Amino acid sequence: MAKLRDIARVVRGKNAGALYLTLDVMFEDDETYRKVRDCGAINPRAIAPLYGVTDNEVAIIPFDMAKAIKITVPRRVRSGSAGDTDVYGAQQHVPLMNLEVPVS
Amino acid sequence: MTTPIRLMATSGILGYGFTEEAFNQGLAMKPDLIACDGGSSDPGPYYLGSGSAFVSRAAVKRDLGLMVAGGMAHGIPVMIGSAGGGGSDAQVDWTLDILREICAEKGLKPKVRVIRTEQTKDAIKAKVRAGKVAPLGPIDDLTEADVEDCSRIVAMMGPEAYQQALADGADVVIAGRGTDAALYAALPLMKGADPGLAWHVAKIIECGAQVVEPREGQDCVIGTIYDDHFTIEPGHPDRRSTVTRVSAHTLYENPEPYRLKEPDGTLVTDKCGFEQLDERTVKVWGSRYEPSDKYTVKLEGAKPLGYRTVFIAGVRDPILIGIMDDFIETCRGRIARDVGVLGIKPEDYTLSVHQYGKNAVMGPLEPEADAPIHELGLLLDVLGRTEDISRAVLAKARYAFLHTDFPGRMCISGNLAVPFSPSDMHVGPVYEFNIWHVMECDDPMEPVRMEWLDL
Repeated sequence: MAKLRDIARVVRGKNAGALYLTLDVMFEDDETYRKVRDCGAINPRAIAPLYGVTDNEVAIIPFDMAKAIKITVPRRVRSGSAGDTDVYGAQQHVPLMNLEVPVS
Repeated sequence: MTTPIRLMATSGILGYGFTEEAFNQGLAMKPDLIACDGGSSDPGPYYLGSGSAFVSRAAVKRDLGLMVAGGMAHGIPVMIGSAGGGGSDAQVDWTLDILREICAEKGLKPKVRVIRTEQTKDAIKAKVRAGKVAPLGPIDDLTEADVEDCSRIVAMMGPEAYQQALADGADVVIAGRGTDAALYAALPLMKGADPGLAWHVAKIIECGAQVVEPREGQDCVIGTIYDDHFTIEPGHPDRRSTVTRVSAHTLYENPEPYRLKEPDGTLVTDKCGFEQLDERTVKVWGSRYEPSDKYTVKLEGAKPLGYRTVFIAGVRDPILIGIMDDFIETCRGRIARDVGVLGIKPEDYTLSVHQYGKNAVMGPLEPEADAPIHELGLLLDVLGRTEDISRAVLAKARYAFLHTDFPGRMCISGNLAVPFSPSDMHVGPVYEFNIWHVMECDDPMEPVRMEWLDL
């Protein structure tokens, strides 16, 4: 097992508009990317509790060209509305960094 | 189309800057268009709501000045999209004011086409009544009351008005809100370029030097469209575009990387090929554009929520840090009483207490919620119905946090390290995005108004 932070090159988050948060996990080499993509550890049931959403609100899209996996979830609070803590959504990647995957 | 069409994006956002070296090299490549998008909703609803810019006037003047002078000297049209950030009339006017100053100082007399996309409440209400407005994501259906609440509403136009402006012979185009890619796709589309390639090259260069290495801030990027492919290269001679950066770019800020919605169709990139042509140039092919049967524009609107006053202080006392959550509740009770005697009711304000160092960024989602801490940054955030209420509540809150007793208290002369005098920061009006919808249009020019600027 490894945490994504130890095997990925990039783990980042950002707004996709004011209503969604989109997270990208990008890998240096094709082999690690394919192992993570195919192991099934990044799935809606694993991601939903990290971001306080339901399974069916999680979209996961592998993007082979960039050796990346994209995860999009609705924001808990609209960007910049009362109660938001991260207007750009740029510091919400940490739970994902710590996600464990069965890849060494 | 047999002649290549060359587009220069000077920067990701007008005012984020670019190097003169890259700009001059780009000019030497004889581009057909010099453009820069001014817009983003990323900095949040305040800028659209208040009609103000999130970049400085000085920075816009510098960027726009170089672009207009360069374009005029070489006979190349210059276009600015989503002027002033939100693309509202006030933000377009702010940009036009800067342009006037540039033209006066440099002795330039460009023909300037102004495109406005701010919408009237009546027009949007009529669309709501006609059932032509739908949510764009997890947000409620739009009501006429929501529209009435709005300070400003803009429509994100497609390429048609830009094309009209170019056909009219404009030297400079200053436009309201449009899609980032429409700014760059307009010219190649009107010259007959393949729509898939035109939209894809536009989508890649609209963020400027995002696709350039090394990452040393914003800079110019050149996209060149040929019959069956396009190329991406940096303006700057010492920088390079790479397959990794260019192919990864459709990931950025998009909910999905393969399908990018535009007003009259969808750019599809799942069958694209990327090749490193030389050290600094990337070749791309295989992009497709699927036309849609309806013409839809995104609507963005922001409504006022009230007025914000904030206060920052540090807490180092270990006894207080240990019982901080209880202490905050005690203070909340005291503040409610203290402002109550001023005639301020609970529904007149909200007080949020952010504990930086203790889950302030992720709140209930924080994976390391119980990590030990020795110092806390407290941010008191008051959102009041009026400016006076906001200031009054914050002032009482500051006093309460500074001087309220807690069990075991030893620091009886004060609970907070206050870094500034004055301590209370008056942020002013606060807004919320309350329109984030799509609207069906009868005609692409329906949400657009155009005028000539009298210099």
